[in-house]
Amino acid sequence: MTRLELSGYRLAICLGPGGVGKTTISAALAIGAAASGRAVDVMTVDPAPRLLDALGLEGVAAEPHEVNLDSVLRASDATRHGRLRALRLDPKATFDAIVRRHAASAAAADAILAGRIYRNLASALAGVADYMAMEKLLELAADPATGLVVLDTPPAAEALDFLDAPRRLVELLGSRAVSLLGARRGPRRVSMVDIAARAILGAFDRVTGLKLLADVQAFVGGFDGMYEGFAERATRASAMLRDGATGVIVVTTAEAGRIAQAREFIAALERAALHVRAVIVNRAMPELPDPAEIERARISAALKRKLRRNLEDHAALKARESISFDTLRSAMPAGAALMLAPELEHEPRTLPDLAQIAASIHSA
Amino acid sequence: MALARLLFVTGKGGTGKSTVAAALADALSHKRPTVLADLDPRMSAAAMLLGAPLAGGAGARISPVLEVVALTARAELEAFMRRIVPVAAISRRMLGSRTFGYVTAALPGLEAFLLLERLRIMAGDAALEDRQVVVDAPASGSALELLAVASAVKGIAPAGSLNRIAHSVESFVRDPARFGVILTVTPEELAIREALELAAALREHLGVATVAAIMNRMPAPLFTRADLDAIAPLRAHHHLAVRRELERSAAHRARREFARAGVPMIELAALYRPAMGRAEITALGGVLAAELPAR
Repeated sequence: MTRLELSGYRLAICLGPGGVGKTTISAALAIGAAASGRAVDVMTVDPAPRLLDALGLEGVAAEPHEVNLDSVLRASDATRHGRLRALRLDPKATFDAIVRRHAASAAAADAILAGRIYRNLASALAGVADYMAMEKLLELAADPATGLVVLDTPPAAEALDFLDAPRRLVELLGSRAVSLLGARRGPRRVSMVDIAARAILGAFDRVTGLKLLADVQAFVGGFDGMYEGFAERATRASAMLRDGATGVIVVTTAEAGRIAQAREFIAALERAALHVRAVIVNRAMPELPDPAEIERARISAALKRKLRRNLEDHAALKARESISFDTLRSAMPAGAALMLAPELEHEPRTLPDLAQIAASIHSA
Repeated sequence: MALARLLFVTGKGGTGKSTVAAALADALSHKRPTVLADLDPRMSAAAMLLGAPLAGGAGARISPVLEVVALTARAELEAFMRRIVPVAAISRRMLGSRTFGYVTAALPGLEAFLLLERLRIMAGDAALEDRQVVVDAPASGSALELLAVASAVKGIAPAGSLNRIAHSVESFVRDPARFGVILTVTPEELAIREALELAAALREHLGVATVAAIMNRMPAPLFTRADLDAIAPLRAHHHLAVRRELERSAAHRARREFARAGVPMIELAALYRPAMGRAEITALGGVLAAELPAR
């Protein structure tokens, strides 16, 4: 049994399809690393209530918050310097804070925060939430006292939705189209294409009733002067993602649909030159018990039949699972480990549960 | 007595949404021509289960009475543009324009909204031709967002065609004759709780009715309490047996809780087979068709 070793890493990003337990795995990896003596921050996105509880994140916890590890550290560990801080990403609060911090003036910040587009859409925009996770990540990574940041990510249809967020936002804020829409970013030659685009957008507004042109103008105009800061941080975030000390961990379950999706994630990450450290199959079936035990047991023949039947049922499911593993194994990038996180007997709800998951993750 | 014209199948990730959607569409197609609309055509899991992988967002005909169509937000946006800007050259120009691309990218709600509008039109057409529509929808959280998008659009477009569409989409999802949600769930606490929460959120915030909860992968009864006591010394076997019976009791508790929420629960037996194929889908579909409550 080989363990997942994260000692050489400063950032671990858990990516994967929805519903596979990314948050659980992120929290488990963070606890495992903290228990081995590292100073770890884990940023979760939309965790289940029980995990919130386990990590002490009830209510608002948009800033890192120290998790008491007494229940998972052995007495011998107590002298070590491991620590765990957890936080829960609040994209809206992060965005608001950035706007307040970087806007040209308080009035400019107010104008952005009060704008219709910002109010209605900023928090709902998937891209903005992803980007805000990056902003927060830069903030966490900048703390020299932190050894490892474990990042849980929002469920995404595609792997790069999340990792691409900084580029997308910067492209939006810096685009020629946007400067044409009203942000004053120095003189530019306005082409016929731009004029046509603007006229068309105006026509779209009249038909749909959206009045987008003015709102987008106001929204983007408010960011005037902030663009360079966004661009600079996005560039740093992109560089950090590709850094040798950053490992992407793809989380999936053994279900056929999820495996197919995980394979697409892996392929996309490879194309984007991101370093996949491991693929973890969460909630893997535990080893099945020995059928010989049934025959040796001093129980009725009827009960033996029931036990055999139960074992056969589970063996069929296990066979289904191993087909999934084979499919995944054929798609593993070079240098990445295929790992299993066996299913707990019950849903993880406490720190010791998460520590148990961390300890049970092993290579397939 | 009829089912809602369009059945919207959602549930926690991993609870067998696509399996249930495929089984349901397969079974209902024996009563009237059925369209299975796949909102995640990249994966097209439901189509794969029916034996017809979708190629590049196209549709597939499974049988003379069963068709799978892939719906993408982008295609809906394009269709919408063609409708409101009837001059093809101009709508093409808009779709190709970077400015417009940025604006729509900045408004993902718009694409989701148009997808919902498309479902409304499909349900309307299906009523005229007496067809059934089954939707393999996104997982719970995204499904709720999708269904809530109409009211968000009303907020950002106080007048004009989008506002009018928002009103009609809202009344569509609230009309039990046209729209019904099917929740998939497995006999695990987390999935059960998520399904109950989703049913409550749909009812309370959106006025959307849940037709049924499908308890998927329900283990067949095998061990009595006395059996479990007798095999206690066989630790690993005992463990496996207890687990099976725990799942059954979680499902029984869920049935009571769904009943309190006014949602009937249908059980689908766990299939202990190494692979899921057409035969398994047909078997599950048979159970669903027999037990689904009609209005």
